Amino acid sequence: MNKHPQKAKNRGYWLTLLPLYLFTIIFVGAPLLYMLVLSFLQRAETWGITGQFTFRNYAQIFQPVYLKTFADSLKLAFLSTGIIALIGYPFGYFMAKLSPKGKKWMMLALMVPFWTNSLIRLYGWIIIFRANGTLDQILMGLNITQSPLKLLYTYPAVVVGMVYALLQFMIFSVYSSAEKMDWKLVEAARDLGASPLKAFLTVTLKLTLPGLLSGVILTFIPSMGLFFIADILGGNKVVLVGSLIQDQLVKAHNTPFAAALSVVLMLMTTLMIALYKKIAGGKELEGLI
Amino acid sequence: MKQKTFRFSHLFLGIVLAVMYLPIVLLVVYSFNESKISSVWGGFSFKWYQQLFRDKQMFEALWNSIILGVLSSVSAAILGTLGAFGMTKIKCRSNHVMEYLVTLPIMTPEIILAMVFLAFFSLLGLPFGMTTLVLGHTAFCVPYVFMLVKASLVGMDSSLAEAARDLGATEIQVFRDITLPLVAPAIASGMVLSFAMSFDDVIISLFVTGVNVNTLPIRVYTQIKTGVTPEINALCTLMLAATLVLVAVSAVIGRKKPNINEQQKENV
Amino acid sequence: MKKWISMGVAAALTAGALAGCGATPKNETKQEMNLFTWMGMFPDEVIQGFEKETGIKVNYSSFDTDETMLQKLSQAKGGEYDLIIADDYIIQTAIEQGLVAELDKTKLSNLENVNPIFQSQFYDPENVYTVPFGAGVQTIVYNPETIDFEITGYEDLWNPALKDNLAIIGNYRVINGMALKIMGESYNTENTATVEQAGKKLLELAPNIRLIKDENTQDDLISGEVGAAVMYTSQVTLAKLANPDLKVVFPKEGIGLGIMAQFIPSKAPNADAAHQFINYILKPEVAKQYFEHVGYYSTNTKADELISEEYKEFLTLPSDFSADKVEMIAPVSAEIEEAHVKAWTEFKNACGQ
Repeated sequence: MNKHPQKAKNRGYWLTLLPLYLFTIIFVGAPLLYMLVLSFLQRAETWGITGQFTFRNYAQIFQPVYLKTFADSLKLAFLSTGIIALIGYPFGYFMAKLSPKGKKWMMLALMVPFWTNSLIRLYGWIIIFRANGTLDQILMGLNITQSPLKLLYTYPAVVVGMVYALLQFMIFSVYSSAEKMDWKLVEAARDLGASPLKAFLTVTLKLTLPGLLSGVILTFIPSMGLFFIADILGGNKVVLVGSLIQDQLVKAHNTPFAAALSVVLMLMTTLMIALYKKIAGGKELEGLI
Repeated sequence: MKQKTFRFSHLFLGIVLAVMYLPIVLLVVYSFNESKISSVWGGFSFKWYQQLFRDKQMFEALWNSIILGVLSSVSAAILGTLGAFGMTKIKCRSNHVMEYLVTLPIMTPEIILAMVFLAFFSLLGLPFGMTTLVLGHTAFCVPYVFMLVKASLVGMDSSLAEAARDLGATEIQVFRDITLPLVAPAIASGMVLSFAMSFDDVIISLFVTGVNVNTLPIRVYTQIKTGVTPEINALCTLMLAATLVLVAVSAVIGRKKPNINEQQKENV
Repeated sequence: MKKWISMGVAAALTAGALAGCGATPKNETKQEMNLFTWMGMFPDEVIQGFEKETGIKVNYSSFDTDETMLQKLSQAKGGEYDLIIADDYIIQTAIEQGLVAELDKTKLSNLENVNPIFQSQFYDPENVYTVPFGAGVQTIVYNPETIDFEITGYEDLWNPALKDNLAIIGNYRVINGMALKIMGESYNTENTATVEQAGKKLLELAPNIRLIKDENTQDDLISGEVGAAVMYTSQVTLAKLANPDLKVVFPKEGIGLGIMAQFIPSKAPNADAAHQFINYILKPEVAKQYFEHVGYYSTNTKADELISEEYKEFLTLPSDFSADKVEMIAPVSAEIEEAHVKAWTEFKNACGQ
């Protein structure tokens, strides 16, 4: 253990950290700073910005119509993340229990959908949901419903789209966490007389929590911003902060207001995650974000 | 008892996969659609395939997207894995800030990143094209690898590494022979996600690409003025078919060399 | 696992190789022209025809929105691109920023073919910088089989009989403009109170909205998902081609007009090639090809005669089309723009209820 002096060892570790540090400061820190500065500037009449300092962009957010947008986005993000966790956690967990060969195939099966364009995959859902589409034909064929459901361009369609787009993130996180788990610990707990449920809660869940947590983060954050799903499957009627930002930038040419919205959005997600970490995590998870 | 839970888990995996593949099956079916309308069946036809094969630019865009995806996910894997590893080893105050920063690209609206990259790359005087694309894409791919590897490293059984060290292994040996194989699934998952994100990205690509480099999503999403045609369905179908052929080929090769499979079992 | 990764990489590389195409190497001796516009604006024959005739290679790069184009152009300081085709309002901004070069009309012998209705507009009153490419008017299209009353103007869209049955495009200046037009106002009003009032009027439309979408809106009309739609011209063309029974309405309250125009950036590396290209596509027979391809209104008087019968109805302006009913949507002040966005966001929120 003490063959290498601690200092030299640490220098080696610092070297592994260095590329990430440099890259992140240049390509993430700088953009972030730029955005923060932008959010305090005044927009110019038609295009661009003036150098004037102002709090106006932040004040604007407190109009009811924009607050409501934030609330709606949060609601959708919670709902989607919850459903994704309910499906993705068992999926990743069961996947880790497969034989090595099974794992390989499953990994592949999960990757293949990525070989198609996401827009086109959403069109697939349009075909399923549209009036007299695949779903209607199945349900009406089975006599479960009598007339078309008109599911396309509704809230449930958006939720399905969100879950569909982000499920893999949860599966991969849980899987990579469950995969390196020591199953002997579960067996030991069972041998000591714990019920399957208790063994799961006290051992498995605890050990796979980091995976679940990073899965939640990887799904919750994007679900606040994946506005094109709401556009395509929801008929653009569910306004998300993401589409608001896009509208401000692309259509209204109001970059500073968009930057302010982005700053608030990021603060909010950060807060949510910190809160979640506190509730779910405990001490040993400190450091994951 | 054990047998029963196994069957339930297989059923669950099967159902979820089936639902996941349903839109893709439809995508394939509709690539043979006579109609230009992407959601209404108008009869069987090969016309989109014919059009696709005349479209050289589309294949050029596909090639660019693949190169870009591979380069970005590999760079992200290197940066992310080394970084996550170093961070679990060094307890330092700056880590918290750094971890937050590293994951920020997935919290930042893409268009903001895109704008900044555009301004930043022209400030550096970089020529717009593949280089700028790879830099931009790597930035938003790193968090995926980093987070997954980090989650995999946290609470990893450290006794193996310690045993190896006690037996005289150097730090580099420990990393290569013990740590790396243990986090390999996480790296692989991270790379897959990275590749997927890169392969599908349109906003950042649009801003940082140059006059001569189109990617596949750029071609698809900039058709807005005239409408997206099933030609892209045809292309996706061909890509799926190519993937399946490759999988089949590698399965056959894999069966011929069982010893590799064995080795892998130990690694995983 | 290692094998798995390498397999993935191999899969990626091989699939690319199967596609059989690498990036084409640059040919030093050949002249090139960098064209920057939306994807799919030209049929292959037009680009190839130009390349064959002049020996100039066309590099086609594309953007998704006008705003992306302007960002990139201003970052390139008016260089890099030789010819850009974009929407009217953004060209005005580009001209104001000094990013646009004056045209050398001695090189444009076919300029006389342009329909004067589409010239001398707000973005280029003296026709110094631009040549029109195509034009769009905002029309209502509906399916008389499922809608049992006649739609003649915007006012009819508010009819409760259309509940949950209307599709609109996501351009708030156009949609807010419908309410403004009903109120007898201009698209470009500079009165905040008027815009707010239009926003209130728009809220009453919310129950009728089934979807708001910019891309492929015609699909929903054709598949019967909606009975009526407010759409862009190219979408109207596609809809009519798919279902000739659909009815196209030029709203009685007035019609919004948009023009896509071509311009040469101030520091274009090969402005000469760009002039040659403009002149080439101004030829009536070439213009006909691209109009039938993009489905926008023809801006070329000589091409009008060549356009085939099945397209004629929606590529050339109707004979009773008078210039006084048409209004272009021009940029407005920042304050008005903000009022528009707010009204639009409130409207969308109401649609989602």
